[in-house]
Amino acid sequence: MARDKERMTRTQIIVIRLVLLALVLGAWEGLPRAGIINPLLLPPLSDVLVMLVDLIRRPMVQEAVAVTALEVIVAFIIAVPIGAAAGILIAENEYIGDICKPMLFYVFSIPKSIFLPMFILVFGIGFQQKVAYAAFTTAFVVLMSAAAAVESVRSDHIMVARSYGATKTQILFRVYVPSMLPILLEALRIAMIFNFTGVMIAEMYASRTGIGHLIANWGENFQMPQLFAGVIVLSAVAIVFNEAVRALEAKCSTWRT
Amino acid sequence: MQHLANVSQLRAQAGEAAIEVEGLSHTYAGANGSVPALVDISLSVRKGRFVVIVGPSGCGKTSLLMMLAGLRQQTDGAILCHGQPMPKPDPERVGVIFQEASLFPWLTTLDNIEFPLSLRGTSREERRRRSQAMLSLVGLEGFGERYPHELSGGMKQRVSIARGLVQDPPVLLMDEPFAALDEQTRMTMGHELLRIWSTTRKTVVFITHSLTEAVYLADEVLVMSARPGRIIDHIEVELPRPRTYEMMATDVFGRLRDRIWQQIRKTA
Repeated sequence: MARDKERMTRTQIIVIRLVLLALVLGAWEGLPRAGIINPLLLPPLSDVLVMLVDLIRRPMVQEAVAVTALEVIVAFIIAVPIGAAAGILIAENEYIGDICKPMLFYVFSIPKSIFLPMFILVFGIGFQQKVAYAAFTTAFVVLMSAAAAVESVRSDHIMVARSYGATKTQILFRVYVPSMLPILLEALRIAMIFNFTGVMIAEMYASRTGIGHLIANWGENFQMPQLFAGVIVLSAVAIVFNEAVRALEAKCSTWRT
Repeated sequence: MQHLANVSQLRAQAGEAAIEVEGLSHTYAGANGSVPALVDISLSVRKGRFVVIVGPSGCGKTSLLMMLAGLRQQTDGAILCHGQPMPKPDPERVGVIFQEASLFPWLTTLDNIEFPLSLRGTSREERRRRSQAMLSLVGLEGFGERYPHELSGGMKQRVSIARGLVQDPPVLLMDEPFAALDEQTRMTMGHELLRIWSTTRKTVVFITHSLTEAVYLADEVLVMSARPGRIIDHIEVELPRPRTYEMMATDVFGRLRDRIWQQIRKTA
């Protein structure tokens, strides 16, 4: 009986979700067509989808997607180990922590986009500048989470491991790593969002390719169907990255309920 | 130099003793200079005995146990475990059971029990065999694949005891292992511990602040004073074994319990 009820609400939720989605998409199609919203500002969904199909066939757009994806991946691969190592060092070494913490917290509070002109001066406009800037913003997020993750390691677990004769390396890999993993994995997902945002901001600010660059250009030229189609492409890429990290997270933390 | 002489003297007579402590003192650096925590502790625990150290909160009994386990170093005095000092933890000689069961939440019950073996590269089959044996010893057959969050407080502490016994050390040190449990579970666990002890015949040093627990479990009770901790009484519990719950209502039990309480009250 209870299970039946549960299944009912589950189906209900899915139905309601689909209805809401249909309403939003229907409004997107209907309101501009009825002239309630200016179709020059919000082109009807069908026009956008036609444009989307056309765009993803263009080599220029395909290349832009590939460049953006590569920037996101490379920046992430650079930022995560650096941020994690720095965070662990700060949390574990009291001396270094005392020296660095205030400075890092201040820098963390500054909007990172104000540093973009400096990245352009150092790296020029291109792949390296995007990657460096995104990695810079992401490393801070990872650093903060890693420091918090270290503090989540329970001292009694370390004591148990020591009492059974664990070496320093064994304590690191058998107590620290598994204790920190759930927090770190969650941090990775948030870091990915910051990382993607970093790449987008860098591309929209100054760039020759990438989805961010295309979207900024279409916006400036008032090509709204292209702009919205670009947003759909970008959303799809972002969701793919987010789900990839989430799948990893689910796989690594089965014990945590 | 003087305590070196003591050590060799102790070694000569260590045959019967599992643990020998001679003139142990400990001070730690506080905000206003050094604070004495333990003062001139000497004790001897014979092999196979169940010794309970009882004392008020903060008397340093946990510190003393950590020193016996090699997890902390004393400022002065000597500790010998099976004739050898304990400069660092030695799981071959000593298993430690902590106040919180402190199981690793990311490991199953069996993997938690095997943890000490996995640190030494024991083969997988051997580990499984021994952890299974420990699991049935503590009465948890069928719970091997559960995770700690699926176990009750008492079950967790059983797993922790199994983990302490899996390497078959001759000495078991227990730091208020049942303090976090409710009273009924605590009574059951005390009884269970005596059953396990009677089949394994380990030397047990058990810390508690519960007078009833002390008398119920112990062959000998060592009473510690409030901080700075020193040993103020040594009581032989001459109740027969196996112990039963009914013994708690007897005059002997009451007198022993009362004697410990009077000793502790004097120093508080």
